[in-house]
Amino acid sequence: MATYLKLAWIFLKIGLIFFGGGYVLIPLLHRIMVDQFHWLSLKEFLDGVALSQLTPGPLAMLATFTGFKAGGFGGALISTVFIFLPCTLFMLVVSSRYEQFRSMELIRKTLDGILPAVVGLVAAAAWSLGRTSLFSARDFLLLAGGFLLLQFTRVSPMIVILGAGAIGLLFRFS
Amino acid sequence: MNEPTMKRVSLREIFTVFFRIGATGFGGGMAVVSLVERTCVQEKQWLELDEFMHGLAFGQIIGPFSLNSCTFVGYYLRGVAGGIAASVGFIAPSFFLISVLSWLYFQYHELPQLQSALRGTNPVIIGLILVAAAGMARSKVKGGDAWLMAGAAFAAAAFFDVGAPLILVAASLWSLGRAWYLREHA
Repeated sequence: MATYLKLAWIFLKIGLIFFGGGYVLIPLLHRIMVDQFHWLSLKEFLDGVALSQLTPGPLAMLATFTGFKAGGFGGALISTVFIFLPCTLFMLVVSSRYEQFRSMELIRKTLDGILPAVVGLVAAAAWSLGRTSLFSARDFLLLAGGFLLLQFTRVSPMIVILGAGAIGLLFRFS
Repeated sequence: MNEPTMKRVSLREIFTVFFRIGATGFGGGMAVVSLVERTCVQEKQWLELDEFMHGLAFGQIIGPFSLNSCTFVGYYLRGVAGGIAASVGFIAPSFFLISVLSWLYFQYHELPQLQSALRGTNPVIIGLILVAAAGMARSKVKGGDAWLMAGAAFAAAAFFDVGAPLILVAASLWSLGRAWYLREHA
């Protein structure tokens, strides 16, 4: 019980300083999990980061891994709930004010004005992923195939993604 | 757009849709966002593209934007209960996957060898994100100013590693100043 409370409190705090998300989180989590509480060894921490990146969830899924080590399945559940609690609550508050914001002309124009920046950020994600995973002609062929399928057919993207994963496993892509 | 949405989407459907996204959005981040956009904006037409992109912008400033954009869509459809159904649905598959993998890992101290599967999915995920970016650009980036902002945001993020929150705050200040100026000098 004491372990659960401690996990809840610490992951709630991590969730609160979550703003900015992504990779600023890694040094912070490392300090807390490895140096301060000795929940994980350095190797376990790095393997945990790799595991969290295997899943569709955010990097903060590392909380699930750490919670599992510190307190089994219950620890994993509590850590996951509490690390995501602050950002989810905050997002619910922002969403609840959204319509009201948007009825003010100046804010509506501002919000519409930043849409091109959002597009730029989406494209930048494709660029970053491409820099670390496009090397051979095979990769570019898969990229072209995926793009064409998703742009011009109504085939479910889930089938395309899982299919590409199956192809990779089947032909032992290296 | 202040009228309540005509069709009332059930919480169960919200949960199911985001559970499915959470079970297939390998690559995380923008891969998930592209799936949400494709599913909720294009296919189900639950909300408009610009509304979704506003939610994405808030989500990026607040933190883990894949989760946040799910919460936003859920709230848009059914309020607090909808937001929670969407976020829990999205996180659940990753949670169970990591729980099982963690259990295996702490038993055997080895990572699953999934590298070859990821080598297959990564290029396709880039394709998915590019389709989403192209669609957004076609309908929301019009005129030289808009392309300049899109290019600047892209370059700042892709080449100079500037964080998304900073880019969006800068874009908001610019955009607010511009709207203000145009109003005062109309």
